[in-house]
Amino acid sequence: MIKLAHNELIVLLLSISAMLIISRIFAELGKKFKLPIVMGELIVGIILGPTILGMINPELFNFLFPRTGNIPIALDGIFSLSVIMLLFVAGMEVQLSLVLKQGKVAVYTSMFSMIIPFFTGFAVAWFFPEIFSISNEHGPKLLFALFFGTALSISALPVIARILMDMNLFKTNIGMVIIASAMFNDLIGWLIFSVILSMTNHSQTDHLSLGYTIMYIIGFGLFMLTIGKKIIDKTLPWMQTKLSWPGGVLSISLGICLLSAAFTEAINIHAILGAFIAGIAFGDSVHLREQAREIIHQFVTNFFAPLFFVSIGLKVNFIENFDPLIVAIVLILAFLGKVIGATIGARLGGMSKNNSIAVGFGMNARGAMEIILGTLALNAGLISKPIFVALVIMALVTSLTSGPLMKKFID
Amino acid sequence: MDLNKLKKRPSFPIETIAVAVSFSPNCQFILTEAKRLTDALEASLLLLHIGDKTTAKEKELDEQMANVGIDPNQSRVIWMDGEPVDTILKLCKLNIVDLLILGALEKENILKFYMGSIARNISRKAKCSVLLLTNPSEQPQKFKKIVVNGVENPKTIHTINTSLYLAKKIKAKELIVVNEINIIGLAMALSDSSTAPQTKEIKKNITDESEETLQSILNKLDNGEVKVSDKIIKGKPGYAISKFAKDKKADLLVINSPDTHLNVFDRIFTHDIEYILAKLPCNLLIVHSRL
Repeated sequence: MIKLAHNELIVLLLSISAMLIISRIFAELGKKFKLPIVMGELIVGIILGPTILGMINPELFNFLFPRTGNIPIALDGIFSLSVIMLLFVAGMEVQLSLVLKQGKVAVYTSMFSMIIPFFTGFAVAWFFPEIFSISNEHGPKLLFALFFGTALSISALPVIARILMDMNLFKTNIGMVIIASAMFNDLIGWLIFSVILSMTNHSQTDHLSLGYTIMYIIGFGLFMLTIGKKIIDKTLPWMQTKLSWPGGVLSISLGICLLSAAFTEAINIHAILGAFIAGIAFGDSVHLREQAREIIHQFVTNFFAPLFFVSIGLKVNFIENFDPLIVAIVLILAFLGKVIGATIGARLGGMSKNNSIAVGFGMNARGAMEIILGTLALNAGLISKPIFVALVIMALVTSLTSGPLMKKFID
Repeated sequence: MDLNKLKKRPSFPIETIAVAVSFSPNCQFILTEAKRLTDALEASLLLLHIGDKTTAKEKELDEQMANVGIDPNQSRVIWMDGEPVDTILKLCKLNIVDLLILGALEKENILKFYMGSIARNISRKAKCSVLLLTNPSEQPQKFKKIVVNGVENPKTIHTINTSLYLAKKIKAKELIVVNEINIIGLAMALSDSSTAPQTKEIKKNITDESEETLQSILNKLDNGEVKVSDKIIKGKPGYAISKFAKDKKADLLVINSPDTHLNVFDRIFTHDIEYILAKLPCNLLIVHSRL
């Protein structure tokens, strides 16, 4: 078994502690200006990465984050684990019953806030691939168009939840509609994204036909959300009373998450889908204690999330890859598609004109979910670095503007 | 059928009670409960049987009515063929029934639950209040302790008022109005950038707001002899109150009628009333406020 050398271990620990401590300092500073925590983490990545530290002091940058040897492998493992954990906690807050409970208005809002941005993104990418420097060959163009449509159609539940809490809208009808629709968007968005990733893998490995992959995704989802959920529901009270608290439920839940992620990865679907679906099955249980939910959230959000979001800045030079045209196009399409789509949906669902527009802006926040999606697409070779940078900027701009714009329209 | 009479008809006073007669082993006990409630509420009683009208059945029903003291001159029996759920619902509408009484198992087997049993399907669809009796007995049970759902919903005020009206009429001792708090996404929203005191304060504010809303309703009530209290509980709506009613050994749980048309997906992705119908914690009254 390959082991980290004495010096490598020290460097690894140093780099992780730098990421955690500096990102916490920036997050706390950002809080004073009401900026999302993810923004502070991204800035730290940009500071510690090739954009700033790599320019000012390349020796220190290469010392902390070497590109060869065992350290990058170890860090890659930690970053992969981080994204799996992030998707698990994102899934934990998805409660499909809420969409059913909110009825027509949530169904229309979630449908239109997905369909319109998806087709807007797909059409622009399909008919004007040259803008994004995508080859005009059918295969890569289709994959990119599908990805771009998905990237514009997802929402970021964590940011939305925070905005609604700050605006004291959590318990209101408008808040519930936004939350329910964002949950549905996330679920469908990640399912589509998993298919896209599988298609990318498929073209590379040819292990599994696409039809089988889609069948596996649907089958796995149905199994986990019905039988799997029932099994978790039956065993959770036992876990929470008979095993040590909260260690028992923490290790079993994270274990189930990793098991599920391993399974989806093994059947050629990305591990994130397994983690996300396991999160839904686990988080939807009536028996999951509030305290257990909070501990899992705290652990993932404050350990894995900073590592993941800081790592983004380490991989990409944000100045070199900043393309104003792509950024502008992505921003315009993101705003138009999502706001118009969600507004039409909410209006058709019976909401007032102003509240519908407020729902539109509320749903527009992309936040961390968009950045995760973009990172995975970048790693899979689906998108170039300039598009990734544009997606990150779009995620931040939509998250920062969502709350103030909502406030302007709410009745 | 004059549906205008039905529309916006208040959920109380309860003037017409219907009871579904199935000739099951519990039939006589259900009739006993129906008689007790009819007397207490000074309502008229309607007995509904969906199925063939045979001499044997007529004789059996006459005997059971006599056994429990139902006066044939002060009640009506309707026999009708057809699909039980739709036929009962249609008869309730036609006869402006205010309260339909049905016997129900505490828990159905899994297949029957997902397919939908007669009593549960009626509960989901009825346009009048429905009382599901889980354990009727020869000795009429007194509903001493009543738990009422105080969820923030326009229907709730009618449900609470109906519960109090019923509690006074049947001389219940205690009525607990319960509001369930379940803020979806709260743990996520609080996890990254809230300090411990901030988290505590946000949670406290949420509880205080719910408490105030409930108190503002309860303060306007004329409780009479009934001891009325409120309680804020945390957990998923439906499941939390069901558990609370069970733990409190309540005799009757009162909830709002469903807001949306429920189907099998609501049973798969269980929420609200479906948690209660999955396993009845005690007798269940679903108040239809006909808003």
